[in-house]
Amino acid sequence: MSDSVSSTATPVAGESSLRVEGVSKSFRHVQALSDVSLDIRQGEVVGLVGENGAGKSTLLNILTGVLQADEGTLYVDGEEVAFTSPSEAADHGVSLVHQEQDVITNFRGYENLYLARERERLGVLDREGMREEAQSFVDNLGIDLDVDEFVQSYSFNERQMLEIAKAFHVSQKSDNPVILLDEPTAALEEAGRELLFDLVNDLRDRATFVFVSHELDEVLEISDRIYVLKDGELVDEKDAAAATADDLQRSMVGRETADEYYRVSQQRPADDLGSETLAVDGITDGDEIGPLSFSVSEGEIFGIVGVEGSGKERLGRLLAGDGKLTHGTVSVNGTQLKSPSVAEMVDAGVGYIPKDRKSEGLLLYQSVLVNTSLAMVRKMKGKVPLLDLDAEKDATARAIEELNVKTPGPDALVHGLSGGNQQKVVIARWLAEDTPILVMDNVTRGIDVGAKEEVYRLCRELTEQGVSIVFIGDELPEVIGMSNRIAVMSEGQFVGEPFDAAQGNKPTEEDLIQEMI
Amino acid sequence: MSAPNTNAIQQWLAKQRDQRTLHDWITDVGPFAMLFILSALFAATTTQFLTYQNLINNVAKNSAFLLLVALAGTFPILQQSIDLSVESIVTLTGVLTVVLIAEYQLGLLAIPIAIAAGMLAGFVNGVVFTKLKVPSFLVTLGTLSILMGFALIITGGSTITFRNQAIRGIATGTWIPGVPNLVMWGLLIYGATVFLAWRTKFGRYCFALGENERVVELAGAKVDRYKIYPFVLSGLLCGTAGVLLTLRISSASPNIAGGLLLPSIAAIVMGGTALTGGVGGPHRTILGVLVIAVLQNGMNLLSINPFVQEIILGVVVVSAVAMSIDRAKIDVVK
Repeated sequence: MSDSVSSTATPVAGESSLRVEGVSKSFRHVQALSDVSLDIRQGEVVGLVGENGAGKSTLLNILTGVLQADEGTLYVDGEEVAFTSPSEAADHGVSLVHQEQDVITNFRGYENLYLARERERLGVLDREGMREEAQSFVDNLGIDLDVDEFVQSYSFNERQMLEIAKAFHVSQKSDNPVILLDEPTAALEEAGRELLFDLVNDLRDRATFVFVSHELDEVLEISDRIYVLKDGELVDEKDAAAATADDLQRSMVGRETADEYYRVSQQRPADDLGSETLAVDGITDGDEIGPLSFSVSEGEIFGIVGVEGSGKERLGRLLAGDGKLTHGTVSVNGTQLKSPSVAEMVDAGVGYIPKDRKSEGLLLYQSVLVNTSLAMVRKMKGKVPLLDLDAEKDATARAIEELNVKTPGPDALVHGLSGGNQQKVVIARWLAEDTPILVMDNVTRGIDVGAKEEVYRLCRELTEQGVSIVFIGDELPEVIGMSNRIAVMSEGQFVGEPFDAAQGNKPTEEDLIQEMI
Repeated sequence: MSAPNTNAIQQWLAKQRDQRTLHDWITDVGPFAMLFILSALFAATTTQFLTYQNLINNVAKNSAFLLLVALAGTFPILQQSIDLSVESIVTLTGVLTVVLIAEYQLGLLAIPIAIAAGMLAGFVNGVVFTKLKVPSFLVTLGTLSILMGFALIITGGSTITFRNQAIRGIATGTWIPGVPNLVMWGLLIYGATVFLAWRTKFGRYCFALGENERVVELAGAKVDRYKIYPFVLSGLLCGTAGVLLTLRISSASPNIAGGLLLPSIAAIVMGGTALTGGVGGPHRTILGVLVIAVLQNGMNLLSINPFVQEIILGVVVVSAVAMSIDRAKIDVVK
């Protein structure tokens, strides 16, 4: 990694390209940005890092005219500007490459490039003209794309290239465009990442880049300078050549981390675990999964890893009762269930925390209380089919307290909470009824470092109380750090016996990767 | 971009804007404001509007049916489906009531049987929607036609009547002094639906399902049955409306409930229950009902041509819905 830093870091001490002075922005009661000033010079690649909720998105939105600052000033090429829309920002050369790909797949490449700015001749689309100009435009950027192809036939990486070309294209009125890259590598494979970085390096004499990412190593690799945001304030500015990921981490979180991150010392040793709580015997869905057998004990964390498509997500769903089992049984605390429904599994004591909390975990426009009590309302007070409002209030208050959920109150909509706090609400739903077995799929996905630590702490506390956890994850260090045992999945089956991951005997990432591929 | 909020009023406005969106205000205050403005308008332009006779006997009594049908429609909409068959259930149960009283001499027993038939119709709607996964608007559009067909066959397309005067008292009497029975039934059922929405698991799941079915399912709820119940409830309320309507006029015909669907959906949405589900509730539907009832009554008092009234009602309905939709939550409408 350090070699590439030296090869790319050729900071041009250019003129100021994009300058932000004393920008503040608040939403309702939350101060999203306070008095942030930064100066991005021509030809630079500037990194921008911070935990979720640190204000990165707000800043990007202000820079691209989606939001307007409450206070402060923006300057582009030394000239004061006030953007009221993304197209105005683009006219000044500032454009954003979105985190999620923003292309229309059943359109051709050039149609995407000209989207909403189509060229017409006498009211008729000038397809030929657009196609030719688009092709020479991308060729000129050094991007290898056939703009006459449909985007759905592009590889993931090519789509990303198209997006970058689009960013250049919308800002072509400016001699010195500023391209903001919001988590551009989040969905890319290693090879795609290299290509992207090469492209950015090739284009750095023609544009200024701002690179926003959670992947600190990548930010260090590609950037000349790095700004660190924390709680809406600019807390640090680092020279990328001299900084390490740990330095950045420390600035972002504001305290030491790493060592006790996963609280391995609190992991229950094998001889301290209770009796078997979850026993899976030869299950298969007749298609992707199995046959598979394993068991989890009281107080144990059973990790499951595997590449995309290995079936680990599907296995988690099956354990939750979401999907039909054609063979095999799942036993919960000795009760054998054949192809149980979700409702039966929940009744038996298994709670599922899905990978995507927004689409499957939360009722975003309902209150924290409604979300927290969503599982416990199945059970009624006595025989009267009425909601036990007091019990709901109590459970919610307890969850907010124990999980340290930062919310204006139990009646606040979940939509307004940060990702970490939203995830805590999903977890709270199962704590509210003391669910003894939890199946977690990427429970810390997309939440910030602070919230992750709290989730780890909580998992340890739960196992201390005897809860069993099936811990499915994509982040290997996390699964290794948290689990008592780790099964590697491939093509719907476990590869060999699960790894022992007792304290002091943890497998390495390489051990797992070897089995995964 | 340089701080323009130098004067205090602008700052105050900006703060208000941040705290509550304009849409929040419109949905919360809109129906009240509209009711007030319309009432003030008609009170000023007519002498009869603000009389007990008019408010109770015309506005309240006439709106009882719209209220029942709108409450019926509220629950399917809360869970993000819709029941378009309400009119036909009202009609069929009305027709059945007459037949059961006049031909089968069942007397009071006719009432629960007719209402049960309404619930059965709703149950069929719900089952086809849930189990066969046919979109609810399509299922209920189909049953709208089917049930109307039954009503036409039974009546032969004309008005049928019964003579049992005693039983009519349920709808036409005044058991509580000053409160006609129709108004009493309307308020009782209104209270019951509000209770259902806020104090029972059924109500909670309606809101939750309207927002995201998967989440509710993964939380362990038996989702299918809770998707059927709102339709059964809708059948029950429409059946009740059909019975009361028939008892009031001691007759039924295939068009007794004609023209209730649009105002009922308008009342639901104006009240604050979004067509996208999950927000609002029956407690607010009554506001929309009153707005429409007052508007219709006022136009009658002003002797506005009934055909012109149709146009005005349509315009008001679409504008009210347009104002109450939270566009921030909807990306694309198709």
